[in-house]
Amino acid sequence: MDKKNDMLKIDNLKAGIEGLEILKGINLSVKKGEVHAIMGPNGSGKSTLSSVIAGNENYEVISGSISFEGEDLLDLDPDQRAHKGVFLSFQYPVEIPGISVSNFIKAAITEKRKVLGLEAMSAKDLLLKMKEKMDLLDMQKGYLSRNMNEGFSGGEKKRNEIFQMAMLEPKLAILDETDSGLDIDALRVVANGVNKLKNSENATIVITHYQRLLDHIIPDYVHVLHNGRIVKSGGKELAHELEKKGYDWITKEADKKWG
Amino acid sequence: MGLIDNIKEYQHNFAVNSKKEKAYLSFLEQGFPNTKNEEWKFSSLKKIISNDFSIENKGIEINTEEINHNSLNFNYKIIFVNGVLDSKPIIKGVKINKHVDESPSFSNAFSALNAAFSNTGYEINVDPNIIIEEPIEILFLTKNSSNNFIQYRNKIVLGENSQIKIIESVKNIGDQYCFTNMQTNIKLNRSSNIEFNKLQNNNDSQITIDETSLTQEENSNSTVNTLLFGGMFTRNNLNFAQNGEHCESNMNGVVILDDNEFGDNHTYMDHKNANCESNELYKGIYLGKSRGVFNGKIMVQPDAQKINAFQANNNLLVSDNASINSKPQLEIYADDVKCSHGCTIGQLDENALFYMNTRGIRKEDARAILTFAFASEALEKISINKIEDLAKDLIAQKLKVDLSF
Repeated sequence: MDKKNDMLKIDNLKAGIEGLEILKGINLSVKKGEVHAIMGPNGSGKSTLSSVIAGNENYEVISGSISFEGEDLLDLDPDQRAHKGVFLSFQYPVEIPGISVSNFIKAAITEKRKVLGLEAMSAKDLLLKMKEKMDLLDMQKGYLSRNMNEGFSGGEKKRNEIFQMAMLEPKLAILDETDSGLDIDALRVVANGVNKLKNSENATIVITHYQRLLDHIIPDYVHVLHNGRIVKSGGKELAHELEKKGYDWITKEADKKWG
Repeated sequence: MGLIDNIKEYQHNFAVNSKKEKAYLSFLEQGFPNTKNEEWKFSSLKKIISNDFSIENKGIEINTEEINHNSLNFNYKIIFVNGVLDSKPIIKGVKINKHVDESPSFSNAFSALNAAFSNTGYEINVDPNIIIEEPIEILFLTKNSSNNFIQYRNKIVLGENSQIKIIESVKNIGDQYCFTNMQTNIKLNRSSNIEFNKLQNNNDSQITIDETSLTQEENSNSTVNTLLFGGMFTRNNLNFAQNGEHCESNMNGVVILDDNEFGDNHTYMDHKNANCESNELYKGIYLGKSRGVFNGKIMVQPDAQKINAFQANNNLLVSDNASINSKPQLEIYADDVKCSHGCTIGQLDENALFYMNTRGIRKEDARAILTFAFASEALEKISINKIEDLAKDLIAQKLKVDLSF
């Protein structure tokens, strides 16, 4: 891959939590316009990787680097990363009582525009944009006045994540297990939303255990994460192979190699 | 010397055997409460009363500009300047007087002291069936040349089916200590309704003892919202007694203190009759080295069947050096009642902060937004938009963020 065009470049990243090394040397390059899928069994380090990219301070980076559009991402706070265009759709979105969805999004957009030196968005424009994105995700009107994720079903929470993504228009979206907890209809709506937001200027990393989301969001590349390393990479057909044959054939081979 | 000695100097000032003298002697017998007193266990006055105070008003001139600046500028204003009634509105069906109770009652050291010395305050009488939608602002403004100890005694009587809204604030703009001992009695006759908002947003020269007691007759409805946003030392005693059936009593409080500020909210809900309701929600946010006390007691008397009593006190300790002592108390002597009480003490949810942070919201702002969200539930009973907005601005100010919630 041409290094210059990499939007995200992860180089030999080792990271862990409370002294435990979970990521043992991740290398990954993502260019704009691409969709990457990171698959792997439970405990392989998928969520650690997304947390480290987003800047969760509970995780400690031991060595290696992450650059985003040529800039060292690890130097930045999570909010600064967000302002640069990194977005993480949480596997378990956090409930925030007392703050409505619309006020939350307003706060996020206002701050981003302030940092980027853009004029504040008028309340009317903001509302129009929210309505438009809600339609895209087949969301009911009442959503906006509900408290952030409070009492939301699993599906509603995931839809709310993609709604925020639609509003914030990130350059790089990381979808962490976005399919978990979704029934097939919700999955289709969410995937459809993601596909509509995709363009030649942004990139998506889909983190998933199962292949079913990848029937709807077609990846350009599939990587298999196992025991903190990417042990196999391929095209979208790799996901189908995994669905048929499971992870064992890859992980056994990898274990032989890495011990 | 100290305050107690300053008070003792007045022993020859009272008419022998007068009610005021009795009150004065009662105070001397009791003295100021110390921390051995269960009700004052966490609220030490020791340092404060070691200072000398002038018992008489030693106010210095406050000009119109200062008055306007400190007033919330509602249309209806009752303004006391250095203890003297400066202005009052004319409202049809409402009588407003500078009040001096001729036969003050007293039950504790501060009410005795107040009964002995108070010579200023307001009395509001609302005629039956009078409904005043527009809030009445009451401002006690002081500026002293030396430490001053002021006693206010107030009284509100609501006639049957009447309704008023009050916003009251005590404000010291001087740099000397102002020790305010305020006693307010509110009587709600049948089917009357009051919303009483207390704004306590003071600098670190203000010491406040506030005892507000509401007596409710049948079918009446009262709401007291306490906004305690600052002051060196604040002790609020808020008492409700329901004398008839179908009464509703609401008390809400938001406390945000910082630095070395101290705030103590003692509430007492006396359920004496059947088919009544009470709701209490106090939210405390403690920054810096501030300290808070909450003590909420619900008494359910034998005749108070089929009542609903709810109480909650939730606290956020924002700094490691802040503290809160919370004591919910429930005493039930009736057998067919619904009561609940609870208290929580916690910190902001780190997961929520990270979540907001990843959406581009700065940490300071995320903290403030979460803190405001925590407090907001206790602001819901304020029906006056201007006060709600003011509370929001003051919360942002206290949290040092430039946000409009």
